[in-house]
Amino acid sequence: MPIMSAVPLGDIGVYIVLFLALYFEVFLFISFFENKPTGKTSLKPKHYPSVTIVVPCFNEERTLAGTIKSLLALEYPRNKLSILVVNDGSHDNTLAVANRFRKNSQIEIVSKENGGKYTALNFGIENSKADIIGCLDADSLVAPDALIESIKRFEIDSSIMAVVPVMKVENPHNLLELMQAVEYTFGIFYKKMFDNLSAISVLPGPFSLYRREVFEQIGPFRHAHNTEDMEMAWRMQANHLPIANAHTAIVYTKVPSTVTTLLKQRTRWSQGFLDNSKDYRRMYFNPKFGNFGLLILPFGLTMFIGSLYVWGFTIWNTLYWAVRQAWIMWSSHIPLHMPHSFIHFDWFYLDTSSLFSIAAICFCSTLAAILIGRRIAGANFGIGSLIAYFTLYGLLAPLWLTKAVWGSLRSQQSVWREDGIH
Amino acid sequence: MSPKTKYDWKKYALALAITVAMFGTAFYLSSRFNDARITDIRNAENQLSIDLLSNETQYELLGEQGCEDITKNPGLSDVLNSLASRLSYAEEHLGATDSEVITLKKQYSLLEIKDYLLMQKIASKCGTKTRPVFVLYFYSNAGDCKDCAREGATLTYLRETYPMLRVYSFDYQLDLSAVKTLVSMREIGSDMPVLIINNRAPVSGFKNVDDILKLAPEIGKLSTTTKSTSK
Repeated sequence: MPIMSAVPLGDIGVYIVLFLALYFEVFLFISFFENKPTGKTSLKPKHYPSVTIVVPCFNEERTLAGTIKSLLALEYPRNKLSILVVNDGSHDNTLAVANRFRKNSQIEIVSKENGGKYTALNFGIENSKADIIGCLDADSLVAPDALIESIKRFEIDSSIMAVVPVMKVENPHNLLELMQAVEYTFGIFYKKMFDNLSAISVLPGPFSLYRREVFEQIGPFRHAHNTEDMEMAWRMQANHLPIANAHTAIVYTKVPSTVTTLLKQRTRWSQGFLDNSKDYRRMYFNPKFGNFGLLILPFGLTMFIGSLYVWGFTIWNTLYWAVRQAWIMWSSHIPLHMPHSFIHFDWFYLDTSSLFSIAAICFCSTLAAILIGRRIAGANFGIGSLIAYFTLYGLLAPLWLTKAVWGSLRSQQSVWREDGIH
Repeated sequence: MSPKTKYDWKKYALALAITVAMFGTAFYLSSRFNDARITDIRNAENQLSIDLLSNETQYELLGEQGCEDITKNPGLSDVLNSLASRLSYAEEHLGATDSEVITLKKQYSLLEIKDYLLMQKIASKCGTKTRPVFVLYFYSNAGDCKDCAREGATLTYLRETYPMLRVYSFDYQLDLSAVKTLVSMREIGSDMPVLIINNRAPVSGFKNVDDILKLAPEIGKLSTTTKSTSK
């Protein structure tokens, strides 16, 4: 008995994608067992550097107050922490909301012409003399100990030039938000493992912190296809400036609550990945850039293309089967009915193909990664969220990936958000 | 440069080895399940062979006087149908050219012929209240019969709707002398699919549900399992 009958050509592509996906996850699991993240301690930093948190705002009247209050609640010496609110040409009541805090000595509020988030960040960098410069999106909230936990991470290794926190979704309500809550939890695992590999690929807007020297060495933020946070991380990797993850520093962020806003956001991120890949193509498969060049970038791009292939292949096969079945029934004059095999279960017809088994292994490893991520950051979600993730994500992700590919091929500028979601 | 820029080739190799092992395990498990399926079909055919022999022997022993006893057990239609489905699944997933599948198919074809001959004898001698309708269906899955899939689906539906409809399917390309004898005896051409309903002349070309009910109105008079929904 042969191990398997002749594998159709299309299936080979699926096998390859699953093999690479599984290889990547196995690699990350090995990294996890080599260096498991430790729990939070009550230790304080030995030294409190001066910190400026830049809050770029564009039409953030609904959420800005909450963000500022969470920054003011940070457990950090008041004389060492300053908050710089940069109003980037808002035309709602953002400035009025910010001005409610102007009497606070820690807060400075400035307004400028609209130029995009990266210009607001750069304005803050130019106007701060602090040792550590951070950014916080105006729709995000920080845990009171987030800054201390991040500073401790800088202290563990003095070569660390930037620290990224853990991001959780703030109060997810609908199915889409629950799906993203699980996705972000998955991201917690990935970020920690990328930290183990010195290969962090994004410095997200919510509460990434930088030593001032970073900007002195490699320059300020760039437009970077509306993904300045990703480009900054890649530029730091290209210049061998280490980035670390403080898994005990928690930030809560708002996520898109409609399919339209989600697609817009993710298309921008995905297209940013492709466009930045063109700019940094020299890093791909380049051992000079360690695991970032050898593993993270190539696998990121491979999974991008592979996901589209698997999705397209599945859709094609499903449609082909459905249309064929419909044609057979219509031309044979067979009325709609419940097939006999549906009524009487028989183990004989269970799908036990190798493809199904491998897909099941991939599913289990993804689930394991999510559960580890949940444990690392104390995230909390139920079975409903997991179901939302595993059903919705596979349906939605190919849409934004396809849009991103199309946009990148046409060198089309991605659309920035219209509301407070970044 | 941070010392962490270095990468550990051993970890890359270990990850590869573990992934290959996982894939190998999946392929192995799939193969074992397929072996179990072949064994299941083989066991079912062996049991069917015994049951057929038992029926034939019972018929010989009881003669005409035993018609009531024999017709209480109206043959092995369900078992044959179940085997047909399993064989079809095995052909689709293990390949029509797989040697074990071909052997099982030959055995099944012989059992079909034996059941067909026995049921014909019982029906003509005993004359049951509702005589079954016999359909011999010749098909080819060598890629030279574009209508065979539709015809198979049509007959499957009719068989599920009318339990007294007995459909015997034969692969025209099967290298089995008994099937070749049947083909030559009934003068069946190579234009598949071909239907022979209640020993009438062979009818070639695709026939849908309505065509078959017109060709053999006695099928419509058989008792049904369920009412079908409208198209």
